[in-house]
Amino acid sequence: MNLKTRLFGEVFSFDSVKEVLGKANEEKSGDQLAKTAAESVTERIAAKTVLSNLLLADLRNHPVVPYEEDEVTRVIQDDMNEKIYAEIKNWTAAELREWILDDKIRGSDIKRISRGLSSEMIAAVTKLMSDLDLIYAAKKINITAHCNTTIGREGTLAMRLQPNHPTDDIDGIMPSVMEGFSYGNGDAVLGLNPVNDGVSNVENILKHFDEFKNKWEIPTQISVLAHISTQMKAVKNGAPIDMFFQSIAGSEKGNEAFGVDVELLTEARELALKEGTSAGPNVMYFETGQGSELSSDAHHSADQLTMEARCYGLAKRFEPFLVNTVVGFIGPEYLYDGKQMIRAGLEDHFMGKLSGISMGVDCCYTNHMKTDQNDVEKLAVLLANAGCNYFIGVPVGDDVMLNYQAAGYHDAQAVREVVGLRPIREFEEWLKKMGLMKNGRLTSKAGDPSIFLNSNGVK
Amino acid sequence: MINEKDLTEIVERVIEELEKEESREAVDQAVKREAKSNNDEIVDITDVDLKKQFLVDNPENREAFLKLKESTSARLGVGRAGPRYKTETLLRFRADHAAAMDAVFTDVSDQLIDDMNLFKVKTLCRDKDEYLKRPDLGKKFSDETLAEISNKCEKNPQVQIYAADGLSSTAVEANLKDIFPAIKQGLEGYNIKIGTPFFVQYGRVASMEPIAKCLNAKVCCVLIGERPGLATAESLSCYMAYDAEIGMPESKRNVISNIHADGTPAVEAGAHIADVIKAMLEQKTSGLDLDI
Amino acid sequence: METIISAGIDIGTSTTQIVFSNITLENIASDYTVPQINIIDKEIIYKSDIYITPLLSEDEIDSVGLRGIIEKEYSKADISKSEVSTGAVIITGETARKKNAELISKEMSDLAGDFVVASAGPDLEAIIAAKGAGVDQLSKKENALVINFDIGGGTTNIAVFDSGEIIDTACFDLGGRLIKIDDNKKIHHVSEKLKKLAESLNVELEQGREIAVHELEVLADKMADILTEILFAEVKSDDYIYLITNHDLKKKYNPDYISFSGGVADYIGNQSHQDNYDKYNDLGIILGEKITESPLYKENNIFNAEETIRATVVGAGSHTTNISGSTITYTSDILPLKNIPAVKIDENEINSEAEFKTAVKQKMNWYNLEDGHQAAALALKGKKNYSFAEITSLAEMIIEAEEEIVESDFPLIVILEHDAAKVLGQTLNRILDHKKSIVSLDGIKINDGDYIDIGKPLAGGKVLPVIIKTLIFDN
Repeated sequence: MNLKTRLFGEVFSFDSVKEVLGKANEEKSGDQLAKTAAESVTERIAAKTVLSNLLLADLRNHPVVPYEEDEVTRVIQDDMNEKIYAEIKNWTAAELREWILDDKIRGSDIKRISRGLSSEMIAAVTKLMSDLDLIYAAKKINITAHCNTTIGREGTLAMRLQPNHPTDDIDGIMPSVMEGFSYGNGDAVLGLNPVNDGVSNVENILKHFDEFKNKWEIPTQISVLAHISTQMKAVKNGAPIDMFFQSIAGSEKGNEAFGVDVELLTEARELALKEGTSAGPNVMYFETGQGSELSSDAHHSADQLTMEARCYGLAKRFEPFLVNTVVGFIGPEYLYDGKQMIRAGLEDHFMGKLSGISMGVDCCYTNHMKTDQNDVEKLAVLLANAGCNYFIGVPVGDDVMLNYQAAGYHDAQAVREVVGLRPIREFEEWLKKMGLMKNGRLTSKAGDPSIFLNSNGVK
Repeated sequence: MINEKDLTEIVERVIEELEKEESREAVDQAVKREAKSNNDEIVDITDVDLKKQFLVDNPENREAFLKLKESTSARLGVGRAGPRYKTETLLRFRADHAAAMDAVFTDVSDQLIDDMNLFKVKTLCRDKDEYLKRPDLGKKFSDETLAEISNKCEKNPQVQIYAADGLSSTAVEANLKDIFPAIKQGLEGYNIKIGTPFFVQYGRVASMEPIAKCLNAKVCCVLIGERPGLATAESLSCYMAYDAEIGMPESKRNVISNIHADGTPAVEAGAHIADVIKAMLEQKTSGLDLDI
Repeated sequence: METIISAGIDIGTSTTQIVFSNITLENIASDYTVPQINIIDKEIIYKSDIYITPLLSEDEIDSVGLRGIIEKEYSKADISKSEVSTGAVIITGETARKKNAELISKEMSDLAGDFVVASAGPDLEAIIAAKGAGVDQLSKKENALVINFDIGGGTTNIAVFDSGEIIDTACFDLGGRLIKIDDNKKIHHVSEKLKKLAESLNVELEQGREIAVHELEVLADKMADILTEILFAEVKSDDYIYLITNHDLKKKYNPDYISFSGGVADYIGNQSHQDNYDKYNDLGIILGEKITESPLYKENNIFNAEETIRATVVGAGSHTTNISGSTITYTSDILPLKNIPAVKIDENEINSEAEFKTAVKQKMNWYNLEDGHQAAALALKGKKNYSFAEITSLAEMIIEAEEEIVESDFPLIVILEHDAAKVLGQTLNRILDHKKSIVSLDGIKINDGDYIDIGKPLAGGKVLPVIIKTLIFDN
């Protein structure tokens, strides 16, 4: 294993695989805060060069958090297919990159190899890819999952309808739900981030969502994104839940900060399969985001991209219906500006797909980042071209509870039309039945939320 | 038998009711016409109350949706131009984002600091960029700065109150002049003494720990600008702790957030904060242990 | 979370009932903001039997009999007076016109609990019954215009809700017990108004005469016609105007739904009932059937009331208590305060400090105590976001305008709609040197001339319960 190279004659040497991984990252403020970033652009390229020569076996054998110390590492390593791994363990990271990009290699080939990859290998190949590489490679891979409907089919783009409200006032949440559906959002999931994590609050919102879904016969999934233990209590009380949500991190310590571990997630999935209201078999929903481990001092001196890859390695065990990175939510100390946000969005999406999970992206930013809505729109178009399963949609891009901006309800249709995509099939049928969509275009009725106020449901 | 006078009154009332509904729209339209005809005056788009705006063409139930909209500040019923936003919606969004960014990236004016008789100190951050990228530096002061604080302030106060820009200078500008006297009035009503107030530039919440230690304050309280949303850039938070010390867990702090004109008004928040501080001094604790 | 018990007692023309409800209060705000205590749940935990209202004579309520009923039901429910935090006694329908009604209502409220208030008036009764029937919730949920007809023994109380807000009320002397017959079908008692109505119908109603079913049907038909006029007649008939108790609706409405509550409601639209028309020895069942046949029933969307005969008592027990804002200032040892008249000033219509003072003084003068002092609460709309300077001048203005109250033993009571009561109270305290009892509340909307009751603090002292005895539609 060679951790040294020369660039323009200057020698760059690194102490560990972890250091190489960190320094090979594209520039991110979070890596600078964690002191894992390259000191100069040249050093970054030197690290990429060293990384490109590392064998996949070197990457497997040097996880950024040791196997003995960390259950996330154990999940990732234990779940690898050893036969497939044996076939590729002597590939360099560069070879893996070129194999993925090879025109003879199809998505199904990649999905097979994916079973022999560890998260560190996935992180490594991502660091060697340009933005267009990430789009091109991700486009090859289709990952579908089924809860009540099937997400991820080729040619579709779904939306999570996120009708958040600053006080969880159901009277203020429902008009947002109506507006979202009237624009063809909500085929991925109708999902609310609650302010109040109390069980009775969560049950109440779920009840209203379930009523609305049934009244209008909407083929979709519902979720209230409280802590997973709150949702489990709600289900035990009889609340209708199609899937369980939880934020996860790429290390055991990071998950501890979220109040979860592998055992709890396993128990939750079993409960969802047994007591949930959906058809399944994919009944879990995870959110992640570069930098969350550092924010809870659980990054083990590893870079934020590698930690993010590990989230997907963990998620994969639970066969989720949805996983999305909330790419610009955590602030400028992790992703400083629009450029870093767009890069991270493309990286996360590709890594999710290469990990074999149904991947979506919350293209978003906070007001203390140097970026604006144009960057969100750019990232959305890029990701739609890369075959992203879903985005998050909020009214006019403005989330009035989380105080950040994401894609807007309107963006769903504009991106679908520009890129030539459709909503999830069953959902499009419903939009047609409601007179909101015809031939993949919005009708004159679309965008009028008040259509949901006039009658007592589907006639 | 109903007499003519009563009947006339009833008719008049009915007409009045009808007129009220129609006149609202009529006034709106008149305002728009006026704006259009008068070329040198364009309406301030940020004056529009978004809760009362409904831009959907030919909606099925305008009134009922407007009624629902009263319960949320989300941008709903905005209509569309093809699958995109109407120009007014787009520009309003950009205007609100501009206000939010300005709140973050501008500084609290010296005028305000002078008007309130405060003095100004800085954390270890050199500028806004460093402040945003290095949360750790926004909690620390140089020895010189701590000496300055120590020299200019009354020592061992029951309550030390100071302001910090945090992530919104606009929030400090909008609220400090109202919230500070309200807290002071409340505390003085309880016979509680407060120390010398000042202002911290590039300050994070945890700047309270070194300040509390330096001045030996029982309760330390920082009024700090919140990360702005699009609905308001003016939201202020008040963080408080009893016997704050470096390294203490976040759960030792109490916070009152969402202080602004459309949230909790600054004066009312100040009155409530006085009660919270009083409870801290009585119970000699703060955070999760505080019973309020 | 805190659960309190609320009692509702309805002493009506024909029946008397009691319910107990659990009202649950919870701080719905996050830990990171100022508290906001709301009523999050109301649950009826006990419903009494339905008693015939005990009367000593046709114009006097039997106080002893009533007391017996209440004491018996409290003991059956295993609830003591001291456990009851709030609630209302309401004397309704014709009973409210008995000569000892006011005295009885006060007596019974004292018997029922420290803060169970006495209330009356046909408008309030209409609102309470409609809320008990669930009409306000339906109207709010569906953004609909809903009219409730609470048809009792002596009166029909009508309440109109639009999008959850009460917009109109009316009351008619129409009900199932305007005529009472005995077991031999002989007329026992007839109300004066029915007597007059019967004249034009050629039905003779002298006491002791045996009355035939078809004659009762003629009367009931007429009553159903009059109720139908409420929604359908362009010009009202003389009989209609004659039967108005205090006032008609302000205009003709086109409701999305109508609903029926009160005892008669059980026989409206209920084809399958097995009761003989003479089960109650009155007109109620026949009236219900005639309404069912009328356009009022047939040509409207009917909402099935959540409560029928119990609507008023449930409304009184569960829907009369309001909760103040959660940041307020008050002197606790003066609570509860009962029957305080409120003077409402719309300060937005006032241009100067002097004008404000004059307006306050003038209105306060209406409520002079015997010794010449004033005893009323000042209700202001308030402003959404006062500056500290504005609050200070508001407090100074109030103190000057209410100098007589300041100098009296009566507390200084200010009630705002917008959230500013805590800082206003602290400012009043500062200016008055903490020497005057004050109550400064917000989050409560009061109209000029309303009477209010303010109870003892709840939720660890954060809020005060307030009962508003609305008289909005009486001019």
